[in-house]
Order: sequence, then structure tokens, then C-alpha cells
Amino acid sequence: MTAVASTVSGIRGGPDVSSRSPEAPAVISADNVTKTFGGGRVVALEDASFDIRPGEFISLVGPSGCGKSTLLRIIAGLIDKSGGSLKVHGEETIAPRRDVAMMFQKPTLLEWRTAVENVLLPSEIAGTVTDDDRRRALGLLKLAGLKDFAFSFPQQLSGGMQQRVALARLLQTGADILLLDEPFGALDEFTREHLNVELMRIVGEVGATTLFVTHNIGEAIFLADRVFVMTPRPGRLAEIIDVPFERPRQPALQLTTEFNQLVARVRSVLGGH
Amino acid sequence: MADQATTNADQLAKDDRKTGIGVVATHTAIFLALMGLWELAARGGLLDPLFFPLPSDIVVSFYRLYITQANIWWHLGMTMTEVAVGFVAGSALGIGLALIVGMFDRVRRYLKPYIVILEATPRIAIGPIVIAAFGFGWTSKTVIVMLVCFFAPFVNTLNGMASVDDEELAMMRSMRASRWQTFTKLMLPDALPEIMAGLRLAMASALGGALVAEFISANEGIGVLLAQYTGTLNMASAFVCVFTLTGLGYLIFRSMEALDRYIVFWTDRDRTEVMGRVRAAKWKGLVKEAYA
Ligand SMILES: Nc1ncnc2c1ncn2[C@@H]1O[C@H](COP(=O)(O)OP(=O)(O)OP(=O)(O)O)[C@@H](O)[C@H]1O
Ligand SMILES: [Mg+2]
Repeated sequence: MTAVASTVSGIRGGPDVSSRSPEAPAVISADNVTKTFGGGRVVALEDASFDIRPGEFISLVGPSGCGKSTLLRIIAGLIDKSGGSLKVHGEETIAPRRDVAMMFQKPTLLEWRTAVENVLLPSEIAGTVTDDDRRRALGLLKLAGLKDFAFSFPQQLSGGMQQRVALARLLQTGADILLLDEPFGALDEFTREHLNVELMRIVGEVGATTLFVTHNIGEAIFLADRVFVMTPRPGRLAEIIDVPFERPRQPALQLTTEFNQLVARVRSVLGGH
Repeated sequence: MADQATTNADQLAKDDRKTGIGVVATHTAIFLALMGLWELAARGGLLDPLFFPLPSDIVVSFYRLYITQANIWWHLGMTMTEVAVGFVAGSALGIGLALIVGMFDRVRRYLKPYIVILEATPRIAIGPIVIAAFGFGWTSKTVIVMLVCFFAPFVNTLNGMASVDDEELAMMRSMRASRWQTFTKLMLPDALPEIMAGLRLAMASALGGALVAEFISANEGIGVLLAQYTGTLNMASAFVCVFTLTGLGYLIFRSMEALDRYIVFWTDRDRTEVMGRVRAAKWKGLVKEAYA
């Protein structure tokens, strides 16, 4: 584990609990962000305002079409906003940034590359690849639990393993802001639950700020420091709910009364829609 | 789990080899029996020897055409050159043009109707016109093969480029990949299986295209030789030409298959496994270090 920590340390110190305190400057701050499609006919996102602090884990939950992907894509610089302001590290986003990385529902791995070559892709795109980059890629695969599969091709891996490779690739970018759009949505429930726990451990280890989209309320609460509850037509950030539970969290947490009270609260926000 | 996979693969390979030998033996036996029947039928007067020469005569003609007279070599070389040059030029043009068109949406939209019209035209119909323009020599045959070999790679390359997944494109963009990087690292390799399928189609029609072109009008090439022997009712020698073409066609098919397995290895399970080991070998030192 120490070897991994040293290869990964390029991202940010380590997990730093104090950085989650409200006084730390926001890494992402949104002010009335709006996005419309079709010449204003479809309002995908309306007046979203929030601040996200360093190292926070945010879950975005809400029914289909409430603008979760739209919000993530705006933060990633993949699409333009129609109005408002969205700042990442104090700068207005206009294009993809080096310190923001995104992961999708599909693994989007390149079939002709081995797992480790896939992980290395961000380094290749950024410039020349050094042995340090290669060691880092191997370290991240180990961190993602794929030590023995570094030289497997995507078609030789299960869906869950493919998403682990995608996760390692996400970390290889060195970005300190990770955007995950339903990354495990296509996987079976057992694999998904297992990967959620792994994800918490891994982003905790690298100390990244994370935005995680899901349809599953329980999953959203279990993972997050705060849950952004969104509602559709027009896409709105309806409420932000704090999740007070200590870390590390165990799956059994989901059976407690406190946990289920939070689930009920999210449900009631969504209920009106 | 990995061990299980390799033993399964080994078992499959063993089965393959076993059946492989069996199949060859069976087919040799069937082939010899058919030839024997043919020989008997011809000698017994059941087949008209004018059109169906004795297999033994064909064997004698093989010897004559390839060794004593050795006249087939020149024609064979001619045809093979037409096929090779026409295929390389035609498919390179097809793929190159498609890559350019594929990179620019607008060009594709403008070009689309013309492509459809050209595709609907039987290529060989342009043959006589090409011969009128380029003469009876090798150039016109090569140009005809080029035409025959242009479309499949062109259309397949375009399709391959257009079918790139949107999320994969977004993934490249979120990593700040340049247009060129997106092309070389994603779009081109992603299109390769389809491009290769186009090349196989082109190659399959190249030999036929060259032959028909030679039938139309030419003074050298295996098609000319075949037409001459048939015209003088030297059927045994005509059959030698046909069997030579069969062999050539088979060789072409097999080499395209081998090329396919080499280039788009990831579409083949066994090849993928082999490539995994090859790539792992390159990383050996680093892996030892990192996973010590
Ligand atoms: N490119 C586009 N053109 C037109 N409308 C779009 C486009 N992208 C998204 N929309 C619309 O914007 C709204 C929000 O879409 P978005 O993809 O952000 O929802 P989502 O919350 O991610 O939904 P899901 O859970 O199904 O992924 C939807 O009504 C959708 O139809
Ligand atoms: Mg979505």
C-alpha cells in the first residue's frame, strides 16, 4: 500500500480531513448555472448554485432527465452553459481542464490496448510517456485491485473489471476533481455495491474531490458527504442534504435508522415530482 | 480463473489439430475418388472429352505449361502484377479519401449522393471505356482493378469512422486530446476491423476484375491464355489455367486472413491472448519493480 501511496501522491497530499471544513476555498463554485437546448425549448438545468469544497464527495441523485449529466458535462468543459457562472479553482470553465477528469457509464476502454496501456492513455495525450508514468499506471491498477490483469485486453475482463480499469485511467490523469456519471450503472447489484465501497476507499486515498451521479438514493447517501437532490422539467437542484456519518463506512450502515431517515428525506424531496 | 481459461484454450487448440489432420485425410480421399470417377467417366465415353479432358491429360498439361514450355509464368506474373498494383492503389485511394472525408462532416454530406450513384454502377461496365482510354496494355487492366478495389474500402472506412461511440469521443475530449490524437488513438484503430473487411472484399473481387478486363481485350495475362486455349479447344490446358486461378484465389484469401489476424488481433480470442503475452514481455522490468 505504501508503494501505491507514493505513486499516487502526485495528485494531492493524502486524505486530509480538515480540508473538508467549510472555511476552505471552494474548488467548484456554481452561480445560477443554466443550460437550455433546442433554442431554449428544453431547460436541462435551471439556476443551479452551489459550492464544493476540496476533498468533498458529492452525490447527484434524481430521476432521468433532471440534468445530472448536463451539470457534469458543463463542469468537465464538454458543453457550454447557457447562463450563469461556473468556476473551477476560481476560473470560469470554457473548455476541458487538466485538473478535471470524467468517467462515463460505459467503460470507454480502447479494445486494442491492454489494461495498463489504457490507463496510460491520459499520459500519452498530455505528452511524452516516462517510466514514472508507467510505474504510476501499474500502481493505480493495483490500487483498483487489478494487479494480475495489467496485460489483459478489455474483452478479456468482466464489466466490473473494465470499470476498474476506467477508474485507474481516471486517476492517471492526475486530476483532483473527478466526475463520475453513473459509472457502475450498467453492472449487477453485487458488483456495484462492492465497487462503491472500493471507490470510497480509492478517492479517499488520493484525496480527490468527487461528483458522483446515480439513480439510487441509498447509494447516493452511503457514498457522499453531501447529496444534491435534483428534480426534472425543468432540471433543478432542489435540495442539498448533509450526510453526517463517520468514515470509513461499512455496508451495514445502510441498515441503521439514521440512514433510512435520510433516505426518506431524499424521497420526500423527489416525491413532489 | 486465468488458469482455467488457458487450459480451455489449449484443449480447443488440441481438438482443432486433431480434427485438422482428419479433415485433410478425408478430403484428400474424396478428391482422389472424384478424380478417379471423372477419369473413368471420360474414358468410358460418359463425358464429352472435348469439354471435359481426362484428369491425367490435365496433369500432363500442368507439367507442360509450368515446366517444359513454361509459358504460364509470364502470364501469371502479368495478372498478379495487375492485381497487386491495382489493389494497393485502389484501396489506398479508397481508404485515404474516406479518411479525409470522414474527418470533415460537411464534405461527407456533399459527397454522399455521388457515392451512392457510383456504387450503383457495375464497375466492370466502365471496363471498355477504360480500355479505350488507356490502351490494351497493363495500365488499363490495372486501372480496372483499381476501380474494382476502390469502393469497398472507401465505404467501409467511412462507416467505420462514423460509428465511433459518442462517449468515447467525449472521453478523448475530456482528456484534452487534439484532433490528430483523437484520430490516431481512437477513430482509426476503431475503424480498422471494418477497413480490413473492406480490404478483404476488395481483394476477393480484384482477381475477378483483372480476368474480366483481360477477357475484354488484352494480349497478355492468364485470362488471355485461358481464352486462347478455350478458343483452340485445348481444354486440358484451359483447366490448368482455371486450377491455377483457384490456387491463386485461395492463396490471396488465406494471406488476407492472416493479415487480418495480425492487424485487428483484438477481434480474435486466441490472437488477443498471444498479444497480451507479447505486450507483457515489454513491461517485464517495470512490473517487477512496481509489484515487488
Ligand atoms: N444534446 C441535447 N440536445 C437536446 N436535449 C438534450 C441534450 N442533452 C440533454 N438534453 C435534455 O436535457 C435534459 C437533461 O438531460 P440529462 O442528460 O442531463 O439528464 P440526466 O439527469 O443525466 O438523465 P439520466 O438519468 O437519464 O442520465 C433532458 O430532458 C434531455 O432530454
Ligand atoms: Mg445522464
